[in-house]
Amino acid sequence: MRAGLVRSGGVHPSGVSALLAPFVLLALWQLACLTGLFPPQVLVPPSEVARTLASMAASGELERHIGESLFRLGVGYVLGAAAGLAFGTTIALSRLAEAALSPLFMALWQVPVIAFVPMLVIFLGIDEPFKVAIVALAAFFPVALATFDGVRGVPRAWFEVARVYRTRLADLVWRILVPATVPAVLTGLRVAITRAWIVLVAAELLAADSGIGQMMEMGRQLFRIDVVLAGVVVSGVIGFALDRGAKAIERRATRWRTA
Amino acid sequence: MNAVLSKPWLRLAIGLVAPALLLIWWQWQASSGDVRSIAFAPLGSIGGAFLELVENGSLVSDMVSTLSRSLTGLVIGGALGIAVGVAMAIWRPLDRLLGPLLHAIRQVPLIGWLPLLGLWFGTGQGSELIVVSLSAFFPTMLNSYEGVAGVEQRYLDVGRIYGFGAFQRFRLILLPAAMPLILTGLTQALAFAWIASIATEILLGIGSGLGVTMQLAQTQQRIDIILVTVIATAILGFAVNYLFRQLRISLLRWQPASL
Amino acid sequence: MIVESRSKPAPEARAAARGALSINDLHKSFVIGGTLRPVLEGINLDVKPGEFVSIVGASGCGKSTLLRLIVGLDDQYGGEIRLDGERVATTSLDRGIVFQDHRLFPWMTLEQNIDLALLNTDTPKARRAQIVADHIALVNLVGFEKAYPHQLSGGMAQRAAIARALVTEPKLLLLDEPLGALDALTRVHVQNELQRIWMTQRSTMVMVTHDVEEALYLGDRVIVMAPSPGRIRRIVEVDLPHPRDRGAPLLHRLKDEILSELMAGPGETDNLVRLPEREKR
Repeated sequence: MRAGLVRSGGVHPSGVSALLAPFVLLALWQLACLTGLFPPQVLVPPSEVARTLASMAASGELERHIGESLFRLGVGYVLGAAAGLAFGTTIALSRLAEAALSPLFMALWQVPVIAFVPMLVIFLGIDEPFKVAIVALAAFFPVALATFDGVRGVPRAWFEVARVYRTRLADLVWRILVPATVPAVLTGLRVAITRAWIVLVAAELLAADSGIGQMMEMGRQLFRIDVVLAGVVVSGVIGFALDRGAKAIERRATRWRTA
Repeated sequence: MNAVLSKPWLRLAIGLVAPALLLIWWQWQASSGDVRSIAFAPLGSIGGAFLELVENGSLVSDMVSTLSRSLTGLVIGGALGIAVGVAMAIWRPLDRLLGPLLHAIRQVPLIGWLPLLGLWFGTGQGSELIVVSLSAFFPTMLNSYEGVAGVEQRYLDVGRIYGFGAFQRFRLILLPAAMPLILTGLTQALAFAWIASIATEILLGIGSGLGVTMQLAQTQQRIDIILVTVIATAILGFAVNYLFRQLRISLLRWQPASL
Repeated sequence: MIVESRSKPAPEARAAARGALSINDLHKSFVIGGTLRPVLEGINLDVKPGEFVSIVGASGCGKSTLLRLIVGLDDQYGGEIRLDGERVATTSLDRGIVFQDHRLFPWMTLEQNIDLALLNTDTPKARRAQIVADHIALVNLVGFEKAYPHQLSGGMAQRAAIARALVTEPKLLLLDEPLGALDALTRVHVQNELQRIWMTQRSTMVMVTHDVEEALYLGDRVIVMAPSPGRIRRIVEVDLPHPRDRGAPLLHRLKDEILSELMAGPGETDNLVRLPEREKR
């Protein structure tokens, strides 16, 4: 029995609404500035932010910041996700490994990733290794947990069906296990990339010499609100793109699933 | 193997192996005498740091600060989130108006708002509270919306049959039916508010709080203080979440045990 | 001199007017995929007060739609539905309904669920508790007043739903496959309960079911419906006293008649699985 009040649009916009939403926001923003409600120290119209973005793009500065951020995100994410996959699979398949490793894992998981920043700064300084490490850490936990759930969650019944039809081991792994775990793992990977992006921007705010986060912090210190807003826009757009991209991949790979 | 793992004290022992190895490795690094060992504080000094923080009361006051910041943000953001989410689910025009805007704002990593808020309100406690409240707002808003919008039509039918007015429908059907999801939203919001508190404390470093202490200790290269604080964060975070889960179970007594 | 009385009808006549359902030329269509599909056509039915009428038919004959229209959850229809002369346009406490899924609110206790039916009646609060208790006793659920629905078995929850529907003393009680979700043994038990309750209360009841035996056991009349579009095929009178004896030969004869009639319809062969290759062999 489906719900009485649910509808598309609004909080979960789909299709056209989803794309229209940011434009509506921009329009309101522009309007608010034109009315002179806010002094320029507080709010600057999107037109000016666009100009700032354009000039930064022209000078190559924007490209450099985005490139640095994305590079760190990419490297850290791959490392963290790979480690998460390996770890999750291991503790799911081996009860001994689970008994030995999961207490430590669960204890570490209680700490918000961002709380590791001061510690990592002492160990790694504020250069690239630190940023890659924090991204890897942010990606590691969701992927490990999701992989564990995915592998553990393969129903026993499926193994039994395989036995009845005398399936070979290779087929068992590729045709049953992997597809069975893919949905959970992909969800974990998606959550991880969104988290990793957020953590990276935060880390760059704290301690970096380039990157989107650092761009925003610099803007704040120089009272350049247009630069700060430019950073907000860019980080939002990238975050959105990452999330949508991940969701699309997830959907394509799990087409066989019923709702 | 399974026989070994089924004895609880044996499981406990196995679970302690990894942490024990970690501590041994740590101590070895600390006493190795090369340049990097400065980063590794000897285990003894960590105990000393703990006593230090307890004696000067800063550990307790930090825990209280962070906790109160998270809870205040949870109350503000949560209450607002429930109100907005429920309102949007009930009145379609509000949904169409606010929904896309909120969706667009959600795309920006919350931490990215800090520089902007810093420019607007200065880097005081106000900005921190706003970010923490915002982080609590979105999960509660989304879940409350889903909760009310997802109320099954068949229960609303029963309300119609017994002549329920709008207020009765809200009090006797919509709100209780939505309560599980509303509480889910609040649980998520608590976790987010906790993380946001720590993050803003680390980033702004003013006042008192676990994150502030960590940040300060980092500038002073006091890894021992950082470690004590990180462990305190983990324990406190776990305890708060656990209590909240129990509260949730007692509020939802009418649900079958499996949910 | 005989003066023609213009006063109110005599008490017996007034009581007899409680719960007389009359349906005239009822028809309804749904728009499905752009085309107008008739769901009910030419339904004519008169139910006397205090009568128990069963409706049977294959899926797709609009039985549930018919009940929804009578109870007032749906007001788009052509033709007439009248209860005691008044046109049915929306829901009313005069007409109660029991669904196949009990629809008790999971967040309320049994007591609270039944009590909510009385919220919008004029019953004073003091009386309400007593009425609720009486009806809980009527359906044999004493002792479970504070239980939550998830703690009740299917049969118990359904009995609670019946109690909730009866507590407003509706003129007409509709039952939409009320026992469909129960296992066979519980079903027999609840059928007996339903018969007992009806004999005690004598409200007018209209029950939709796909179980022909159940329809015959409980009903004074059985309406046999045909699908696509839903219309009344035949009305069978069950002239047996209550309480009924399940073994009565008349019941079995009527059941065979109705079943063969239902099976003889054009849709008969659709449900059979055919493996053409195998059959050729």
